[in-house]
Amino acid sequence: MKKTTLFKWMTLAAAGAMTAGCASYPDEATTRQMAEKMVYDAFAFSPAHKGRLDQDRSQQICSKIGDAKLTQAEAAEIVKLARASIEYPASGKLYGDWKVGDRLAHDGAGDRIRNGKLENRKENGGLCQNCHALAPGEINVGNVGPSLTGYGKQRGNSEAVIKYTYEKIYNAWTYFPCSNMPRLGATKHLTPEQITHMVAYLLDPQSPINK
Amino acid sequence: MVNVRGIRFTACASLCLALTLPASALAQGDLSVGRKMLIEDNPGELWIDQGKALFHQKRGPKNVSLEQCDFGMGPGKLEGAAARMPRYFADTDRVEDLESRLLTCMTQLQGFDRNQLIKQAISSPASKGSDIEALALYITSRSNGMKVNVSLSHQKEYDMYKAGEYLFFRRSGQTDFGCVQCHGEPDKRIRLQDLIHMTSKAGAQEVASTWPAYRGSHFVVRTMQWRLNDCVWQMRLPDLKYATDYSIALTTYLNRQGNDAVIQVPGFKR
Repeated sequence: MKKTTLFKWMTLAAAGAMTAGCASYPDEATTRQMAEKMVYDAFAFSPAHKGRLDQDRSQQICSKIGDAKLTQAEAAEIVKLARASIEYPASGKLYGDWKVGDRLAHDGAGDRIRNGKLENRKENGGLCQNCHALAPGEINVGNVGPSLTGYGKQRGNSEAVIKYTYEKIYNAWTYFPCSNMPRLGATKHLTPEQITHMVAYLLDPQSPINK
Repeated sequence: MVNVRGIRFTACASLCLALTLPASALAQGDLSVGRKMLIEDNPGELWIDQGKALFHQKRGPKNVSLEQCDFGMGPGKLEGAAARMPRYFADTDRVEDLESRLLTCMTQLQGFDRNQLIKQAISSPASKGSDIEALALYITSRSNGMKVNVSLSHQKEYDMYKAGEYLFFRRSGQTDFGCVQCHGEPDKRIRLQDLIHMTSKAGAQEVASTWPAYRGSHFVVRTMQWRLNDCVWQMRLPDLKYATDYSIALTTYLNRQGNDAVIQVPGFKR
Protein backbone atom coordinates (compact mmCIF):
# COMPACT_ATOMS: atom_id res chain seq x y z
CA MET A 1 0.00 0.00 0.00
CA LYS A 2 2.69 2.39 1.07
CA LYS A 3 4.85 1.40 -1.83
CA THR A 4 2.07 2.07 -4.33
CA THR A 5 1.54 5.55 -2.93
CA LEU A 6 5.21 6.31 -3.20
CA PHE A 7 5.24 5.04 -6.77
CA LYS A 8 2.23 7.17 -7.59
CA TRP A 9 3.97 10.27 -6.27
CA MET A 10 7.12 9.49 -8.17
CA THR A 11 5.20 9.07 -11.40
CA LEU A 12 3.40 12.35 -10.80
CA ALA A 13 6.67 14.13 -10.10
CA ALA A 14 8.21 12.75 -13.25
CA ALA A 15 5.21 13.82 -15.30
CA GLY A 16 5.39 17.24 -13.69
CA ALA A 17 9.06 17.57 -14.58
CA MET A 18 8.27 16.64 -18.15
CA THR A 19 5.56 19.22 -18.57
CA ALA A 20 7.07 22.03 -16.51
CA GLY A 21 10.78 21.54 -16.03
CA CYS A 22 11.90 20.09 -19.33
CA ALA A 23 9.98 22.22 -21.80
CA SER A 24 12.32 23.56 -24.43
CA TYR A 25 12.54 24.77 -28.02
CA PRO A 26 11.45 22.15 -30.54
CA ASP A 27 14.02 21.04 -33.10
CA GLU A 28 14.06 22.42 -36.65
CA ALA A 29 12.13 19.61 -38.28
CA THR A 30 9.39 19.71 -35.65
CA THR A 31 9.14 23.48 -35.94
CA ARG A 32 8.85 23.29 -39.71
CA GLN A 33 6.15 20.63 -39.51
CA MET A 34 4.08 22.60 -37.00
CA ALA A 35 4.48 25.93 -38.75
CA GLU A 36 3.68 24.54 -42.20
CA LYS A 37 0.48 23.06 -40.85
CA MET A 38 -0.39 26.45 -39.36
CA VAL A 39 -0.06 28.07 -42.79
CA TYR A 40 -2.58 25.77 -44.44
CA ASP A 41 -4.97 25.97 -41.47
CA ALA A 42 -4.82 29.75 -41.30
CA PHE A 43 -5.84 30.76 -44.80
CA ALA A 44 -9.13 30.38 -46.60
CA PHE A 45 -8.15 29.61 -50.16
CA SER A 46 -9.59 28.23 -53.36
CA PRO A 47 -7.64 25.52 -55.20
CA ALA A 48 -6.58 28.20 -57.69
CA HIS A 49 -4.84 30.18 -54.97
CA LYS A 50 -3.21 27.37 -53.03
CA GLY A 51 0.00 28.01 -54.95
CA ARG A 52 0.36 31.30 -53.10
CA LEU A 53 1.00 29.34 -49.92
CA ASP A 54 3.14 26.55 -51.38
CA GLN A 55 6.85 27.26 -51.37
CA ASP A 56 8.85 26.42 -54.45
CA ARG A 57 12.39 25.13 -54.04
CA SER A 58 13.93 28.60 -54.31
CA GLN A 59 11.58 30.10 -51.74
CA GLN A 60 12.42 27.28 -49.35
CA ILE A 61 16.10 27.99 -49.68
CA CYS A 62 15.56 31.73 -49.40
CA SER A 63 13.63 31.49 -46.10
CA LYS A 64 16.71 31.35 -43.88
CA ILE A 65 15.99 32.16 -40.27
CA GLY A 66 17.81 35.04 -38.60
CA ASP A 67 21.32 35.70 -39.82
CA ALA A 68 21.81 32.24 -41.35
CA LYS A 69 23.72 32.59 -44.62
CA LEU A 70 23.25 30.86 -47.97
CA THR A 71 25.85 28.23 -48.69
CA GLN A 72 27.70 28.48 -52.01
CA ALA A 73 25.93 25.39 -53.28
CA GLU A 74 22.54 26.89 -52.40
CA ALA A 75 23.37 30.17 -54.11
CA ALA A 76 24.45 28.25 -57.20
CA GLU A 77 21.19 26.30 -57.19
CA ILE A 78 19.15 29.50 -56.90
CA VAL A 79 20.96 31.04 -59.86
CA LYS A 80 20.48 27.90 -61.92
CA LEU A 81 16.74 27.76 -61.16
CA ALA A 82 16.42 31.47 -61.84
CA ARG A 83 18.16 31.23 -65.23
CA ALA A 84 15.92 28.35 -66.23
CA SER A 85 12.81 30.35 -65.27
CA ILE A 86 13.35 33.24 -67.64
CA GLU A 87 11.05 33.53 -70.63
CA TYR A 88 11.35 36.17 -73.28
CA PRO A 89 8.49 37.91 -75.10
CA ALA A 90 7.22 36.24 -78.25
CA SER A 91 8.35 39.23 -80.31
CA GLY A 92 11.92 38.78 -79.07
CA LYS A 93 11.96 42.55 -78.43
CA LEU A 94 13.10 43.33 -74.87
CA TYR A 95 12.71 47.10 -75.16
CA GLY A 96 9.12 48.34 -75.02
CA ASP A 97 7.39 51.69 -74.50
CA TRP A 98 8.80 53.78 -71.65
CA LYS A 99 5.51 55.61 -71.17
CA VAL A 100 3.71 52.37 -70.43
CA GLY A 101 6.60 51.38 -68.17
CA ASP A 102 6.32 54.70 -66.32
CA ARG A 103 2.67 54.01 -65.55
CA LEU A 104 3.37 50.42 -64.48
CA ALA A 105 6.27 51.47 -62.25
CA HIS A 106 3.91 53.73 -60.32
CA ASP A 107 1.17 51.14 -59.98
CA GLY A 108 1.24 49.08 -56.77
CA ALA A 109 -2.03 47.24 -57.21
CA GLY A 110 -3.17 43.96 -58.70
CA ASP A 111 -3.93 40.39 -57.69
CA ARG A 112 -4.68 40.99 -54.02
CA ILE A 113 -7.38 38.80 -52.50
CA ARG A 114 -10.10 39.94 -50.12
CA ASN A 115 -13.05 37.81 -49.05
CA GLY A 116 -12.11 35.26 -51.64
CA LYS A 117 -12.27 37.77 -54.47
CA LEU A 118 -9.37 38.68 -56.67
CA GLU A 119 -8.77 42.38 -57.17
CA ASN A 120 -10.52 43.29 -60.39
CA ARG A 121 -7.79 44.69 -62.63
CA LYS A 122 -6.94 44.57 -66.30
CA GLU A 123 -3.29 44.00 -65.43
CA ASN A 124 -1.03 43.97 -62.39
CA GLY A 125 1.02 46.98 -61.40
CA GLY A 126 4.81 46.82 -61.51
CA LEU A 127 5.19 47.71 -57.80
CA CYS A 128 8.53 49.58 -58.40
CA GLN A 129 7.50 52.78 -56.59
CA ASN A 130 6.82 50.86 -53.38
CA CYS A 131 10.50 50.15 -52.87
CA HIS A 132 12.61 52.26 -55.26
CA ALA A 133 13.27 55.95 -55.82
CA LEU A 134 12.30 56.68 -59.44
CA ALA A 135 12.31 60.04 -61.30
CA PRO A 136 14.21 62.90 -59.64
CA GLY A 137 12.08 64.86 -57.17
CA GLU A 138 9.44 62.20 -56.61
CA ILE A 139 8.91 61.96 -52.87
CA ASN A 140 6.25 59.26 -52.57
CA VAL A 141 8.73 56.44 -53.10
CA GLY A 142 10.06 53.67 -50.91
CA ASN A 143 13.64 52.80 -50.03
CA VAL A 144 13.57 49.07 -49.37
CA GLY A 145 15.48 48.66 -52.64
CA PRO A 146 18.21 50.88 -54.09
CA SER A 147 17.42 54.14 -55.88
CA LEU A 148 16.78 53.76 -59.61
CA THR A 149 17.09 57.48 -60.33
CA GLY A 150 19.33 57.93 -63.37
CA TYR A 151 19.47 54.16 -63.92
CA GLY A 152 19.84 54.44 -67.70
CA LYS A 153 22.03 57.52 -67.59
CA GLN A 154 24.60 55.54 -65.62
CA ARG A 155 24.45 52.42 -67.76
CA GLY A 156 23.53 53.44 -71.28
CA ASN A 157 21.19 51.21 -73.29
CA SER A 158 23.41 48.72 -75.05
CA GLU A 159 22.07 45.26 -75.94
CA ALA A 160 23.90 43.80 -72.94
CA VAL A 161 22.36 46.32 -70.53
CA ILE A 162 18.90 45.76 -72.01
CA LYS A 163 19.20 42.00 -71.58
CA TYR A 164 20.57 42.31 -68.04
CA THR A 165 17.80 44.71 -67.02
CA TYR A 166 15.10 42.49 -68.50
CA GLU A 167 16.45 39.42 -66.71
CA LYS A 168 16.93 41.31 -63.45
CA ILE A 169 13.26 42.32 -63.41
CA TYR A 170 12.06 38.93 -64.65
CA ASN A 171 13.96 37.07 -61.95
CA ALA A 172 16.10 39.18 -59.63
CA TRP A 173 17.59 36.05 -58.08
CA THR A 174 19.51 35.36 -61.32
CA TYR A 175 21.94 38.03 -60.23
CA PHE A 176 21.21 38.41 -56.52
CA PRO A 177 20.18 35.05 -55.04
CA CYS A 178 17.46 35.44 -52.39
CA SER A 179 17.39 39.24 -52.58
CA ASN A 180 14.26 40.92 -51.21
CA MET A 181 13.07 41.75 -54.72
CA PRO A 182 10.14 39.66 -55.99
CA ARG A 183 10.86 37.50 -59.04
CA LEU A 184 8.25 39.50 -60.89
CA GLY A 185 8.28 37.57 -64.16
CA ALA A 186 9.03 34.13 -62.79
CA THR A 187 6.13 34.25 -60.30
CA LYS A 188 3.84 35.51 -63.09
CA HIS A 189 3.09 38.76 -61.32
CA LEU A 190 4.10 40.51 -64.55
CA THR A 191 4.03 39.35 -68.16
CA PRO A 192 7.15 39.41 -70.36
CA GLU A 193 5.58 42.27 -72.38
CA GLN A 194 5.02 44.37 -69.25
CA ILE A 195 8.65 43.87 -68.32
CA THR A 196 9.85 45.16 -71.70
CA HIS A 197 8.01 48.42 -70.99
CA MET A 198 9.70 48.70 -67.62
CA VAL A 199 13.07 48.08 -69.26
CA ALA A 200 12.41 51.02 -71.57
CA TYR A 201 11.27 53.17 -68.64
CA LEU A 202 14.57 52.48 -66.88
CA LEU A 203 16.84 52.91 -69.90
CA ASP A 204 15.31 55.37 -72.35
CA PRO A 205 17.02 58.78 -72.42
CA GLN A 206 13.54 60.33 -72.79
CA SER A 207 12.23 58.61 -69.64
CA PRO A 208 11.71 60.89 -66.61
CA ILE A 209 13.89 58.55 -64.57
CA ASN A 210 16.93 59.67 -66.61
CA LYS A 211 16.13 63.37 -66.63
CA MET B 1 10.05 71.94 -57.91
CA VAL B 2 9.04 68.90 -55.92
CA ASN B 3 7.26 66.31 -57.93
CA VAL B 4 4.42 64.95 -55.87
CA ARG B 5 3.00 62.83 -58.62
CA GLY B 6 1.71 59.51 -57.54
CA ILE B 7 0.74 60.65 -54.06
CA ARG B 8 -2.81 59.79 -53.26
CA PHE B 9 -4.22 61.36 -50.14
CA THR B 10 -6.79 58.70 -49.52
CA ALA B 11 -6.99 59.46 -45.86
CA CYS B 12 -7.64 62.35 -43.56
CA ALA B 13 -4.60 61.39 -41.51
CA SER B 14 -2.19 61.80 -44.40
CA LEU B 15 -3.88 65.05 -45.21
CA CYS B 16 -3.54 66.32 -41.65
CA LEU B 17 0.05 65.21 -41.66
CA ALA B 18 0.77 67.24 -44.76
CA LEU B 19 -1.07 70.27 -43.42
CA THR B 20 0.54 70.31 -40.01
CA LEU B 21 4.07 69.68 -41.21
CA PRO B 22 6.20 72.56 -42.38
CA ALA B 23 7.29 71.96 -45.98
CA SER B 24 10.92 71.75 -44.92
CA ALA B 25 10.22 68.87 -42.56
CA LEU B 26 8.48 66.93 -45.31
CA ALA B 27 11.38 67.55 -47.66
CA GLN B 28 13.72 66.10 -45.08
CA GLY B 29 11.49 63.07 -44.90
CA ASP B 30 11.02 63.48 -41.18
CA LEU B 31 7.47 62.24 -40.93
CA SER B 32 7.86 61.09 -37.36
CA VAL B 33 7.40 64.67 -36.15
CA GLY B 34 3.89 64.85 -37.54
CA ARG B 35 3.10 61.42 -36.22
CA LYS B 36 4.15 62.40 -32.69
CA MET B 37 1.98 65.49 -32.87
CA LEU B 38 -1.02 63.32 -33.65
CA ILE B 39 -0.40 60.84 -30.84
CA GLU B 40 -0.98 63.50 -28.20
CA ASP B 41 -4.65 63.72 -29.01
CA ASN B 42 -5.58 60.12 -29.68
CA PRO B 43 -9.25 59.54 -30.57
CA GLY B 44 -8.75 55.86 -29.72
CA GLU B 45 -9.21 56.78 -26.05
CA LEU B 46 -12.94 56.84 -26.72
CA TRP B 47 -12.94 53.09 -27.30
CA ILE B 48 -11.59 52.35 -23.82
CA ASP B 49 -14.80 53.34 -22.03
CA GLN B 50 -16.82 51.42 -24.57
CA GLY B 51 -14.69 48.33 -23.92
CA LYS B 52 -15.01 48.75 -20.17
CA ALA B 53 -18.80 48.90 -20.39
CA LEU B 54 -18.87 45.82 -22.63
CA PHE B 55 -16.65 43.96 -20.20
CA HIS B 56 -18.92 44.50 -17.18
CA GLN B 57 -22.27 44.28 -18.94
CA LYS B 58 -24.26 41.05 -18.76
CA ARG B 59 -24.40 39.99 -22.38
CA GLY B 60 -24.90 37.12 -24.77
CA PRO B 61 -27.41 34.24 -24.71
CA LYS B 62 -26.20 33.29 -21.22
CA ASN B 63 -26.54 36.87 -19.99
CA VAL B 64 -23.27 37.03 -18.06
CA SER B 65 -20.45 39.55 -17.98
CA LEU B 66 -16.81 38.83 -18.78
CA GLU B 67 -15.87 39.28 -15.12
CA GLN B 68 -15.43 35.52 -14.81
CA CYS B 69 -13.10 35.34 -17.80
CA ASP B 70 -9.55 34.37 -16.88
CA PHE B 71 -6.95 36.19 -18.97
CA GLY B 72 -4.17 34.38 -17.19
CA MET B 73 -4.08 36.26 -13.89
CA GLY B 74 -7.29 34.80 -12.46
CA PRO B 75 -10.98 35.44 -13.29
CA GLY B 76 -11.62 39.10 -14.04
CA LYS B 77 -8.09 40.16 -13.12
CA LEU B 78 -6.92 42.44 -15.90
CA GLU B 79 -3.95 44.32 -14.43
CA GLY B 80 -0.90 43.18 -16.39
CA ALA B 81 -2.80 40.34 -18.11
CA ALA B 82 -2.34 41.58 -21.68
CA ALA B 83 1.36 42.19 -21.03
CA ARG B 84 1.83 38.45 -20.63
CA MET B 85 -0.04 37.35 -23.74
CA PRO B 86 0.02 35.26 -25.82
CA ARG B 87 0.27 32.51 -23.21
CA TYR B 88 -0.80 28.95 -22.55
CA PHE B 89 -4.26 28.35 -21.05
CA ALA B 90 -4.88 25.01 -19.41
CA ASP B 91 -8.67 25.08 -19.91
CA THR B 92 -8.38 25.19 -23.70
CA ASP B 93 -4.97 23.48 -23.79
CA ARG B 94 -3.88 26.14 -26.29
CA VAL B 95 -1.66 29.16 -26.52
CA GLU B 96 -4.00 32.10 -27.00
CA ASP B 97 -3.46 35.75 -27.79
CA LEU B 98 -5.79 38.34 -26.31
CA GLU B 99 -8.24 38.21 -29.18
CA SER B 100 -8.53 34.43 -29.30
CA ARG B 101 -8.93 34.41 -25.51
CA LEU B 102 -11.78 36.89 -25.89
CA LEU B 103 -13.37 34.56 -28.44
CA THR B 104 -13.03 31.67 -25.97
CA CYS B 105 -14.75 33.55 -23.16
CA MET B 106 -17.40 35.17 -25.31
CA THR B 107 -18.42 31.77 -26.70
CA GLN B 108 -17.99 29.53 -23.66
CA LEU B 109 -18.97 31.98 -20.94
CA GLN B 110 -21.45 34.26 -22.67
CA GLY B 111 -22.73 31.84 -25.30
CA PHE B 112 -22.10 33.98 -28.36
CA ASP B 113 -21.79 32.25 -31.73
CA ARG B 114 -18.12 31.96 -32.68
CA ASN B 115 -18.63 32.42 -36.41
CA GLN B 116 -20.76 35.49 -35.86
CA LEU B 117 -18.13 37.01 -33.55
CA ILE B 118 -15.41 36.36 -36.10
CA LYS B 119 -17.47 37.86 -38.88
CA GLN B 120 -17.80 41.09 -36.91
CA ALA B 121 -14.37 41.11 -35.25
CA ILE B 122 -12.70 43.46 -37.73
CA SER B 123 -14.94 46.46 -38.23
CA SER B 124 -15.46 48.56 -41.33
CA PRO B 125 -13.56 51.83 -41.61
CA ALA B 126 -15.34 54.85 -40.10
CA SER B 127 -17.77 52.58 -38.22
CA LYS B 128 -18.27 52.57 -34.47
CA GLY B 129 -15.95 49.58 -34.27
CA SER B 130 -16.48 46.01 -33.13
CA ASP B 131 -17.03 44.70 -29.59
CA ILE B 132 -13.79 42.73 -29.77
CA GLU B 133 -11.80 45.79 -30.84
CA ALA B 134 -13.14 47.81 -27.90
CA LEU B 135 -12.67 44.95 -25.43
CA ALA B 136 -9.14 44.22 -26.62
CA LEU B 137 -8.24 47.87 -26.21
CA TYR B 138 -9.79 48.16 -22.76
CA ILE B 139 -8.10 45.02 -21.49
CA THR B 140 -4.72 46.01 -22.92
CA SER B 141 -5.08 49.50 -21.45
CA ARG B 142 -5.19 47.85 -18.03
CA SER B 143 -1.52 46.98 -18.68
CA ASN B 144 -0.60 50.57 -19.57
CA GLY B 145 2.67 51.56 -17.94
CA MET B 146 3.61 47.92 -17.40
CA LYS B 147 6.30 45.96 -19.18
CA VAL B 148 5.63 43.34 -21.84
CA ASN B 149 6.52 40.05 -20.23
CA VAL B 150 5.85 37.06 -22.47
CA SER B 151 7.42 34.10 -20.74
CA LEU B 152 8.03 30.72 -22.29
CA SER B 153 7.49 27.90 -19.86
CA HIS B 154 4.90 25.48 -21.23
CA GLN B 155 6.03 23.32 -24.15
CA LYS B 156 3.27 24.77 -26.32
CA GLU B 157 4.62 28.27 -25.70
CA TYR B 158 8.05 27.20 -26.88
CA ASP B 159 6.47 25.58 -29.93
CA MET B 160 4.43 28.69 -30.72
CA TYR B 161 7.44 30.98 -30.41
CA LYS B 162 9.58 28.87 -32.74
CA ALA B 163 6.77 28.51 -35.27
CA GLY B 164 6.34 32.29 -35.22
CA GLU B 165 10.00 32.80 -35.90
CA TYR B 166 9.85 30.33 -38.79
CA LEU B 167 6.80 32.07 -40.25
CA PHE B 168 8.38 35.52 -39.96
CA PHE B 169 11.07 34.37 -42.39
CA ARG B 170 8.87 32.15 -44.61
CA ARG B 171 8.67 33.41 -48.19
CA SER B 172 5.89 32.41 -50.58
CA GLY B 173 3.50 33.66 -53.22
CA GLN B 174 3.98 35.85 -56.25
CA THR B 175 5.79 38.59 -54.32
CA ASP B 176 8.22 36.13 -52.69
CA PHE B 177 7.55 37.96 -49.44
CA GLY B 178 7.96 36.85 -45.86
CA CYS B 179 7.65 39.40 -43.05
CA VAL B 180 11.39 40.00 -42.99
CA GLN B 181 11.53 41.36 -46.54
CA CYS B 182 9.95 44.61 -45.32
CA HIS B 183 10.72 44.48 -41.60
CA GLY B 184 14.30 43.22 -41.45
CA GLU B 185 16.28 46.45 -41.78
CA PRO B 186 16.30 49.86 -40.08
CA ASP B 187 14.97 53.10 -41.61
CA LYS B 188 13.02 51.53 -44.46
CA ARG B 189 9.82 52.73 -46.08
CA ILE B 190 7.19 51.45 -48.50
CA ARG B 191 6.46 54.65 -50.37
CA LEU B 192 6.18 57.15 -47.51
CA GLN B 193 5.14 54.61 -44.91
CA ASP B 194 7.80 53.88 -42.28
CA LEU B 195 8.41 50.18 -41.70
CA ILE B 196 9.17 48.92 -38.22
CA HIS B 197 12.53 47.13 -37.97
CA MET B 198 11.19 44.06 -36.21
CA THR B 199 14.38 42.05 -36.04
CA SER B 200 15.75 44.71 -33.70
CA LYS B 201 14.82 44.79 -30.03
CA ALA B 202 13.47 48.35 -30.26
CA GLY B 203 11.31 47.50 -33.27
CA ALA B 204 9.82 44.39 -31.69
CA GLN B 205 9.14 46.45 -28.58
CA GLU B 206 7.22 48.99 -30.63
CA VAL B 207 5.05 46.19 -32.03
CA ALA B 208 4.50 44.59 -28.63
CA SER B 209 3.47 47.77 -26.82
CA THR B 210 1.32 49.82 -29.23
CA TRP B 211 -1.56 47.53 -30.29
CA PRO B 212 -4.54 47.95 -30.28
CA ALA B 213 -4.09 51.30 -31.98
CA TYR B 214 -6.23 54.02 -33.46
CA ARG B 215 -5.74 53.99 -37.18
CA GLY B 216 -6.13 57.53 -38.48
CA SER B 217 -6.97 56.57 -42.03
CA HIS B 218 -9.71 54.17 -40.92
CA PHE B 219 -11.19 56.23 -38.04
CA VAL B 220 -11.38 53.10 -35.89
CA VAL B 221 -9.31 51.16 -33.40
CA ARG B 222 -7.40 48.29 -34.99
CA THR B 223 -5.92 45.19 -33.37
CA MET B 224 -2.90 42.99 -34.02
CA GLN B 225 -5.09 40.45 -35.81
CA TRP B 226 -6.13 43.18 -38.21
CA ARG B 227 -2.53 44.28 -38.70
CA LEU B 228 -1.45 40.79 -39.76
CA ASN B 229 -4.51 40.43 -41.94
CA ASP B 230 -3.63 43.60 -43.84
CA CYS B 231 0.02 42.57 -44.24
CA VAL B 232 -0.79 39.25 -45.87
CA TRP B 233 -3.28 40.99 -48.15
CA GLN B 234 -0.49 43.20 -49.48
CA MET B 235 1.74 40.13 -49.76
CA ARG B 236 -0.90 38.66 -52.10
CA LEU B 237 -1.61 35.70 -49.83
CA PRO B 238 -5.18 34.37 -49.60
CA ASP B 239 -7.59 35.48 -46.85
CA LEU B 240 -6.15 35.05 -43.36
CA LYS B 241 -8.79 33.67 -41.02
CA TYR B 242 -9.29 35.38 -37.66
CA ALA B 243 -7.40 34.19 -34.56
CA THR B 244 -5.53 31.28 -36.11
CA ASP B 245 -2.36 29.67 -34.78
CA TYR B 246 -0.49 31.36 -37.65
CA SER B 247 -1.19 34.82 -36.25
CA ILE B 248 -0.87 33.69 -32.64
CA ALA B 249 2.56 32.24 -33.46
CA LEU B 250 3.74 35.47 -35.11
CA THR B 251 2.39 37.51 -32.19
CA THR B 252 4.09 35.22 -29.68
CA TYR B 253 7.39 35.60 -31.51
CA LEU B 254 7.16 39.38 -31.84
CA ASN B 255 5.86 40.06 -28.34
CA ARG B 256 8.48 37.83 -26.77
CA GLN B 257 11.17 39.69 -28.75
CA GLY B 258 9.55 42.88 -27.49
CA ASN B 259 9.72 41.98 -23.80
CA ASP B 260 10.34 44.88 -21.40
CA ALA B 261 8.65 47.45 -23.63
CA VAL B 262 6.30 49.67 -21.64
CA ILE B 263 2.74 49.25 -22.88
CA GLN B 264 0.95 52.41 -23.93
CA VAL B 265 -2.32 51.93 -25.76
CA PRO B 266 -4.12 52.96 -27.80
CA GLY B 267 -1.18 53.41 -30.13
CA PHE B 268 -1.59 55.73 -33.05
CA LYS B 269 -1.04 54.57 -36.59
CA ARG B 270 -1.26 56.35 -39.90
